[in-house]
Amino acid sequence: MKAKEYTFDASYQPQVRTNTDTSRIMLDVIIALVPAMVVGVLMFGARALALLVISVASACFWEWGYRKLMKKPNSLGDLSACVTGILLVLCLPVGTPLWMPVVGTFFAIVIVKQLYGGIGKNFVNPALAGRAFMFFSWTSVMTKWAVPNFINGIDAETMATPLSILKEGSAMPEYFDFGNMFLGIMPGSIGEISTLALLVGGVYLLIRKVINWRIPVAFIGTVAILTVIFPRNGYSNVDWMLYNLLSGGLFLGAIFMATDYSSSPVTLNGQLLYGFGCGALTVLIRYFGGFPEGVSFAILIMNLCAWAIDKGTRGRQFGVTKEDLKAAKKAAKEAKA
Amino acid sequence: MPYKFRGGVHPNYMKAPEEPVVVVTPPPQVIVPMAQHIGAPCQPLVAVGDYVTMGQKIGDNPAPVSAPIHSPVSGKVVKIEPRPHPLGDMIMAVVIENDYQDTPCTDMAPLTEEQLKDPEAILARLREAGIVGMGGAMFPTAFKIRGGLGKVDTLIINGAECEPYLNGDHWTMKLHPEELLKGIELARIASGLDKAYYGIEKNKMDAIELLNSKNPAQYGVEIVPEEVKYPQGAEKMQIKAITNREVKPGGLPAGVGCNVISTQTAYAIYQACYLGIPCIERILTVGGSAVDKPHNLQCRIGTPFSYIAEHCGGFIKTPKKIVLGGPMMGLIATSLDAVNIKGTAGILFFTEEEDKTVENPTCIRCGKCITVCPMGLEPVYMYMYFKKGDFENMKKYHILDCFECGSCSYNCPGRMPLTHSFKTAKLLFAKKAADEKARAEAAAKEAENK
Repeated sequence: MKAKEYTFDASYQPQVRTNTDTSRIMLDVIIALVPAMVVGVLMFGARALALLVISVASACFWEWGYRKLMKKPNSLGDLSACVTGILLVLCLPVGTPLWMPVVGTFFAIVIVKQLYGGIGKNFVNPALAGRAFMFFSWTSVMTKWAVPNFINGIDAETMATPLSILKEGSAMPEYFDFGNMFLGIMPGSIGEISTLALLVGGVYLLIRKVINWRIPVAFIGTVAILTVIFPRNGYSNVDWMLYNLLSGGLFLGAIFMATDYSSSPVTLNGQLLYGFGCGALTVLIRYFGGFPEGVSFAILIMNLCAWAIDKGTRGRQFGVTKEDLKAAKKAAKEAKA
Repeated sequence: MPYKFRGGVHPNYMKAPEEPVVVVTPPPQVIVPMAQHIGAPCQPLVAVGDYVTMGQKIGDNPAPVSAPIHSPVSGKVVKIEPRPHPLGDMIMAVVIENDYQDTPCTDMAPLTEEQLKDPEAILARLREAGIVGMGGAMFPTAFKIRGGLGKVDTLIINGAECEPYLNGDHWTMKLHPEELLKGIELARIASGLDKAYYGIEKNKMDAIELLNSKNPAQYGVEIVPEEVKYPQGAEKMQIKAITNREVKPGGLPAGVGCNVISTQTAYAIYQACYLGIPCIERILTVGGSAVDKPHNLQCRIGTPFSYIAEHCGGFIKTPKKIVLGGPMMGLIATSLDAVNIKGTAGILFFTEEEDKTVENPTCIRCGKCITVCPMGLEPVYMYMYFKKGDFENMKKYHILDCFECGSCSYNCPGRMPLTHSFKTAKLLFAKKAADEKARAEAAAKEAENK
C-alpha cells in the first residue's frame, strides 16, 4: 500500500472515550432494578409480571412510534424507554387493570419526554409523572392494596398499608414487624416494598458510578432526621422513624426516581440541596397532606426546582478562593455605584 | 505527600512500557520545519546546495520568544520550500539529503565546570541549543526560566506522563536517570533556586526507585510520587499537587511562583550543556492499532510520519487518524508527509476501532462532565450556551478558563463534542474581540475625518 492512498479524519479531541455510554448506564439501572422486580413478582404473583411486560412493551412502542412518526432517529437503543416502563410499574399497585400502564406510558413517554425533545430534555421524571397522571385519573384503583403472599390470616382481598395506618394513628398490626418490612412482606406498590432489594440495587448503582451518594443520602437522611425528631400519634421516636423509612416508596424514590439525570440538579451541592428538599417535602406531605404517601409528589415538585438549584449552587472554580469571590462582588457593587 | 486535585478521569492507559526504545536510522531526507516553538518562526540560515553538519544551526530568529533550529543529520541542503507541518498548513522547511556520515558540528562545545554553575551561561546555552518545552507546548525554555527569575520560588519537573499510550518520558527516566537529574540541576541553577521537585505518577514506580537510588538530593532534586489520574501532568495540576497552590483563572504559573518543565526538556538541557548537542532528537511513542509493532522510538527531528510508520512494521489496518501526542489532548495531523518536531511526544495511528463517535450525540444531563472537570467548571451548561451562541453566559460559565484536557468529553456517555465546542468557542471569542477592535478603530477614523 502506498502512503498516498490514505485519507485522514480531522475529527476533534479527545480521541479516546470511556466505554460507558448511555445504553450501558440504562442497562445498569435495569440490572439494579432486578432485585426489586423479583421481590414484586414473588409477593404479588404472575399478575405483577404481566403488568411489567405490558408496561415495558408499551413504553418501547410509544418511544419508537413517536420518533418514527416525527422522522427522528430511533432511540430505542439507549434503553431509557425500558427503564421508564419498569419504573412506572414498580410504583403501581398490583390490582391495576392490565390496559392501564399503556395509557400511563403514553403520558410518560410521549407527553413528558418526547414532546420536550426526548432523553435528557424532560424536566420532570417521566415515570413519576405517568404515575401521577394515573393516580389522579383512577384514584380508587390506585389506592387499593392487594394482600401480598407470605401474609396469612387476612380474609379480605385488600388491606391497609403501614403508611395509611400511620396516617390514621392506629396501632401497627403485628405482621408489620421491621424485619418483614425490610424484606418486603407488606402491601404496597409492586416495586417499593422491599427496602433490602432496593438497597442492593442502589449499592450496585453506586459501584458502577451511575449515581452518586448525594441525592439518596440527603433524601433518606432528611426523612430520618425529621421523623425521629417529630414523632406523631403516640409512637416512640425510633419506631416512628423506622416505620416511615421502611414503608411507602421512600427507597424506590430516593435511589431510582430522584436520581433521574435530566430532572435533577447536576451540581454536587445542588444535589445535596435537592435531596434535602425531597426529604423535607415528603415528610410535610405525609404529615399534613391529604394522602398518606408523599414521595412521588415531593420529587415532582423538586424536579421543577432543579434548574434553579443548579444556577444557585455552582461549584468552586479552580484557582478561585472565597476571598476572590468576595472581592469580585465588592468590585461589582462599586462599579454599579 | 502530594496534594490532590478535584475531578479527573482514569482512561485505559494502553501503555506498553516493556517495549524498549528502538533507535531509528535517520531517513534519506529529513525535512526540518522552521517553526518548532511558540513565538517567531525562524529564518533559514543556509541556502540550497550548502553542506551542513549534524547539529549545525540552520534557522534562527533574533526575537526574544524564539528558538533556533539545528540540522538533525549531516548532508546537503536540497530544497528550502513550504512543506506540510504536523500541526496543519504548509510551513517553510529546510530539506536535507542525509549523507549518513553524521559529521558532528563543532560550534557548540560542552560547557566548562565554571559555566555549569553560572545561570547566565546556562540560559545562553539553552537559547543557543534551541531547547523548547518537549512535552508538547514547545515554549522556549530559556525565555520561560528568564521570565520567572525573581518571581518563581518553586521549579517543578513534570514526569506525570498521564496521557494514555505515551511512555517516552518513562523510558528517558529508565535509560538516563543520572543525566536527567543533572539536567534538572542545571534548570534549577539557571532559575536561581536551591531545590527542584520532580513529580512522577505512581504507575512508574520502577523509574521512581531508580531515580531515588541515584541520590537526587545531591542535585537538589526531590522526587514526588503522585496519584495516577488524568490530567495529573497538566501544568496547573502539577503545581497543585506539589505546592497546593492554584493558578488563578487567566493567570500564569509564574503568578503563583512556579515554573514547570517536562522530563525530556530536562534531558535535552543535559545534552546541550554537558555534551554540546542541540535539540535534534527525542524519544517518542508510536501507538494505535493501525501499525504492526507499536514502539518507543529514539528519532531525529524531521523524520516523516510515513517513514516512522514503516519503522513500526507498516500499516496492518487502514489508519483513519494521526494523533500527535496523547489521545486526550493530542492534535490531529492529516498528512503522512508531515514530520516529527521537537514537541512530538507521540504519534498514534488510530483505525476505526478507536473511534467512539456516534451519529446522534445526546446529552442526558447526567452531570458526569461536572464531576470530572479539574477546573471546577460546568461543561453541560457551557455547551448549552455555546449552542445558543450566548456569549455573555459562556463567559459567565468560564468557557475561557477551560484548558481543553478533554476529561468531560472522555467521560460523556452521550458522546457530546464538549471539548471541541469549547475550543471553537474560544476561537469565536477571539474573532469577536478582533472584530470589535476593528470596528472601534474604523469608528475612530471616521470621527477623525469629520
